[in-house]
Amino acid sequence: MSADDACGSQHCITCGDDGVPMTVVRVDLERGLALCAAQDGARSSVETALVAPVDIGDTLLVHAGTALARLEPTA
Amino acid sequence: MRFVDEFRDAELGRAVAMEILSLVEPGRQYKLMEVCGGHTHSIYKYGIDDLLPANVELVHGPGCPVCEIPMGRVDDGIAIAHTDGVIFTCFGDMMRVPGSDGSLLDAKAAGGDIRMVYSPLDALRIAKQNPDREVVFFAIGFETTAPSTALTLKRARAEGLKNFSVMCSHVTIVPPLRALLESPDLRLDGFIGPGHVSTVVGARPFQFIPADYGKPVVIAGFEPLDILQAIEMILRQLAGGRCDVENQYKRVVPFEGNLRALEVMAEVFELRPHFEWRGLGFISHSGLKLSDAYADLDAEVRFSVPGVRVADPKACQCGEVLKGVIKPWECKVFGTGCTPERPIGTCMVSSEGACAAYYNFGRFAREREVV
Repeated sequence: MSADDACGSQHCITCGDDGVPMTVVRVDLERGLALCAAQDGARSSVETALVAPVDIGDTLLVHAGTALARLEPTA
Repeated sequence: MRFVDEFRDAELGRAVAMEILSLVEPGRQYKLMEVCGGHTHSIYKYGIDDLLPANVELVHGPGCPVCEIPMGRVDDGIAIAHTDGVIFTCFGDMMRVPGSDGSLLDAKAAGGDIRMVYSPLDALRIAKQNPDREVVFFAIGFETTAPSTALTLKRARAEGLKNFSVMCSHVTIVPPLRALLESPDLRLDGFIGPGHVSTVVGARPFQFIPADYGKPVVIAGFEPLDILQAIEMILRQLAGGRCDVENQYKRVVPFEGNLRALEVMAEVFELRPHFEWRGLGFISHSGLKLSDAYADLDAEVRFSVPGVRVADPKACQCGEVLKGVIKPWECKVFGTGCTPERPIGTCMVSSEGACAAYYNFGRFAREREVV
């Protein structure tokens, strides 16, 4: 698999100043991680130390495996 | 999806474009810099520049974390990767950045155990799975990515992992912006501020731009409506004779930033006296290294690296592109000697790079069609 294939759509989510909205599916309080799902259904472990505590159903802005912010619905 | 679809509404986009049209003075030229490579990518992906009046020009800034890596750092990474027993890990785009004698992808083809990861946590996992190997993570990126590296280092320390280290090439956003503003050959009217860097550092660090240089800054999100609204807000400031830091991306960016992220960065990192930027040269206090408390996890301490400065290829004009002095297609080798498949300069490597964004979205035309 080339770097291009892995990044997909000509856009590498980890390298740039990019953030992906992901929904919390499961919380691992002990390890400070949460299993999160992206829009396309892809799931990954996310570091939650910067936004903790998180709950199932929360939407987080994730960059390079770390949640940087919790997304709040706009008024 | 919530937080995405509502910021791609075409009708609203056209309405904001009309608002922008009403704010520009005929005969006046406006040059606005989007600092962040993520904005550059969105602008060309969604054709935002085609919605702007002819006298509003977008200049692409230095905010691509791959584009600023000088060749010497790539050579240092390859030297570590070729050390016996090392598994070298990095983000995908870094694999293709040319060093003086090939890229990390070339080094992998030559037998180096070099693996692409999506996060520093992935690199840590590889270290746990390979206790008899040294695992090095090549950390790049601005303040957006640095907290992720810092948290991973804290995790490595807490878990007592001895075979994990980081080659730290993280950089900070304010020093290059100040260097650009001091550049005599640059004329800018305002800045579209970096959205996700600001999630970490907040809006306060950008206040020097209006205070010292009299230019407006609007921190913006990455969806098409975010960027259009930020342009409208900058033009509204200019029309009213104001210059302030405004925050278009309030749904994500708090004014003070993420204090926990700033704390963990302050614990794990310290500023280097100087750091070399591709095309911009050495900039004081613009790079991060591991603090003394984490020096035992510093790959540059653990392994020997050449640390040699390598001049950029003569044909490459990434420096002028990064400063916004020339457009990517004005570079002598754009699209001929330098393509995303065989890049000479780093701006052609990453999708956030200005040259790659122009190339991938077919922006070869010398003249822009305007509304």
